[in-house]
Amino acid sequence: MHVHRLEKIWLTFGIAMLAVFLTVLGLMTFSMGIAPPTGHAQLDPTKVNETAPFDNPGLHEVGDGVYEAVMTAFTFGYNPPNMEVPVGSTVHFTVTSSDVVHGFEIPGTNINMMVVPGEVNHASHTFDKPGEYLVLCNEYCGIAHEMMMTKIIVK
Amino acid sequence: MATEAKTPSKTNPATEPANEPANEPSLKGTFASVMLLGGFILASWLGAFILFMVKN
Repeated sequence: MHVHRLEKIWLTFGIAMLAVFLTVLGLMTFSMGIAPPTGHAQLDPTKVNETAPFDNPGLHEVGDGVYEAVMTAFTFGYNPPNMEVPVGSTVHFTVTSSDVVHGFEIPGTNINMMVVPGEVNHASHTFDKPGEYLVLCNEYCGIAHEMMMTKIIVK
Repeated sequence: MATEAKTPSKTNPATEPANEPANEPSLKGTFASVMLLGGFILASWLGAFILFMVKN
């Protein structure tokens, strides 16, 4: 079969690009743990306050500089309301909602997830720079949606 | 009819070298469009990747 010279060039370019994208994705999955969430945690959204770990929301130190932030989102706020961690801390967020669908976004980081009632969602971030990090809801959840926020202080 | 039959046809495969078809279409425009689209996809991918790495 005859293939035009220019056609060979663009086919090579396209296939090489696909190979590079997939290789980078594959390498990052293992080197940086960037993978789709695994596991599926559910709970009764009407019993969030009685269900572990949400019966004890807050910042728990799970290792040297590693914290687990157990949080609930509700109309219109987050529990615990304010958190403080030292610079360089890695925080694993475990979040659920006790009423409607909320958002959980920390601008300037890669954390941006939905908080769905009945589901437990996870995200992690290492806070290398000191400052005040805003946590905000980006899913319209009611009349005071724009007031729904909390802060993480890193110092 | 007789004169037509004697005229050698340009597209006769028997008289053409197999790797150089004489009536090959010009694909320069197609090539430019494909490369522009490919460049756009590559730039978008790199943009998203760099943003992700900076925010991580």
